[in-house]
Amino acid sequence: MSVDNDMNRTEDALKRVLRRQPAPDSFADRVLARVAERNSAESGRGHRDSWWCVFVQPLVRWATATALAVALVAGGLHYRQVQYDKAERERAQGEAAKQRLMLALRIASSKLQLAKSKVNEINADQAGNREEKE
Amino acid sequence: MAEPLPAEKAADIAESDFAEIVRRHQVMVYSIAQHFLADRSAAEELAQDVFLQLHANLASLKSDDHVKFWLRKVTGHRCIDYKRRRGLPQVALDDVPECAAPAEAGDPLLSRRLRQLVASLPEKPRLIVILRYQEDMAAEEISNVLAMPVATVKSHLQRSLAMLREKMTRALGEVTI
Repeated sequence: MSVDNDMNRTEDALKRVLRRQPAPDSFADRVLARVAERNSAESGRGHRDSWWCVFVQPLVRWATATALAVALVAGGLHYRQVQYDKAERERAQGEAAKQRLMLALRIASSKLQLAKSKVNEINADQAGNREEKE
Repeated sequence: MAEPLPAEKAADIAESDFAEIVRRHQVMVYSIAQHFLADRSAAEELAQDVFLQLHANLASLKSDDHVKFWLRKVTGHRCIDYKRRRGLPQVALDDVPECAAPAEAGDPLLSRRLRQLVASLPEKPRLIVILRYQEDMAAEEISNVLAMPVATVKSHLQRSLAMLREKMTRALGEVTI
């Protein structure tokens, strides 16, 4: 019983202590001023961003998304083609370089053969001369 | 019964209607924040932010009861968020300032001590106690506003009351409530 009475008194005291407090002077005016300030800031931003509103429409959004997807695919294919062409060009250049090297080797080989035959001729002449002297 | 807003549909609320809503509910919002934060300037800043958020959400509110429910919910959550964000320490019993309330009936020393004890409660129980005794809300209403089970609200209330009664008795010694 005493505990109940204490509880009731505590509750009464809480109601008294936690009663509503008056808001500060001009509170509402300050809120309204902040709202007006925010509205004017948003209005300024709205003008700057007005072109962006075009994308709010679903059809435009879908068209934009489709165009972006097509552009991405086309870009990817073009890139792949460019890479393929580049590889082909490099392969052809490599082939030409190989042909040039083979030609150079053939020329060098024939020159060597020629030099070798000359040397053999000279050696044969010298051997003939020695036999004649003996 | 819900008191109708000045304009029939909230979506059509004009700036002047919003001003009326602010004037009608400023005491409630400010008081919840003031009792929770025990800091007048922080309470005013928070209350202003709540009304700015209300202005941005006016189109979704349909009646004055709905506005009041929304204000209590947002104010409560913002109070808890504010405290957590700022990492405010638990208010020491002797640091709670006197409120600017008119002279109170009853023992002023007891009222001051009780206000300090309320300010020292953990966040959710404190908010529940404030909504219960400042706004005279039932546990069911508080559970709706704070989105928590009724049993939890009742449990917080009972424990807070018991704790407040015990601490009051201990703090004031012979003085009874």
